[in-house]
Amino acid sequence: MLWFLRGIRRGVVTTRYPRATDAWARQLPSPPAFRSRRLTPELAARLAESCTPGALRLEGSELVLDLGACTGCGDCLTAGDDAVVPSGEFELATSARDALIKRIPIGAEG
Amino acid sequence: MTEEQRLSDELRERAVALFARSLHIRTFDSGSCAVCESEIRLLSAPHYDLHRLGFFFTPAPRHADLLLVSGAAVRAADTALRKTLAAIPEPRIVVAVGACALGGVFAPDELVHGRVDAVVPVDVYVPGCPPSPLALLHGLLVAVGRLEEKVRTLDFDLREELVG
Repeated sequence: MLWFLRGIRRGVVTTRYPRATDAWARQLPSPPAFRSRRLTPELAARLAESCTPGALRLEGSELVLDLGACTGCGDCLTAGDDAVVPSGEFELATSARDALIKRIPIGAEG
Repeated sequence: MTEEQRLSDELRERAVALFARSLHIRTFDSGSCAVCESEIRLLSAPHYDLHRLGFFFTPAPRHADLLLVSGAAVRAADTALRKTLAAIPEPRIVVAVGACALGGVFAPDELVHGRVDAVVPVDVYVPGCPPSPLALLHGLLVAVGRLEEKVRTLDFDLREELVG
């Protein structure tokens, strides 16, 4: 009986996903997003170096982010000052592995 | 488009339509650290309640439609993984879950393949370490064609948009 009353008081706890996304879902650990204009070659090298799971690497004038390897650890957020922010993105499922590889230009205009 | 491609696309559409409202899931741990399993288990908790979407877990591969594989595909699990997949009746879907299963964590060596698609064909990849239950739900809904894939359209290059 007590559990029943407790349940009534608590209301519905079930998420409404996929019809609506809970606000807290954006605050879970997520892959980084980059303000690419603030990236310098030195900073990009430091980011690639700091990436514990090895999801970031330098390729010429691009920083390559493998979302499949990213663990959302946040080491790049610490190393990247204000050029790196959490993306808050979790809907990353895909049927093509290649779609998870993102290329970020270093210091690009545009 | 070749005839084979057309037929395979048609078959895939029919399978997805078949699974859209009722799908039984068999999980397979190919050497994960059990955190992916803990997130998968949370799917049946009241907060996510995957039954409301027509997804169910089953312990028997013969009753399953979808194989949810976590872990880095250790070579010791090869036979078990192949047999589990073979026991699932066609048409079937394979979903790889977590950074290990996607080839992000372990390099291939004599102990692990490092990625699940080196052993069995994978239909949907769900990244994350671990993927949150919502990410898993998105993966399942993508697998049965109820949600669109989003990652292709996402841009992780913000330029200066968020400066404030």
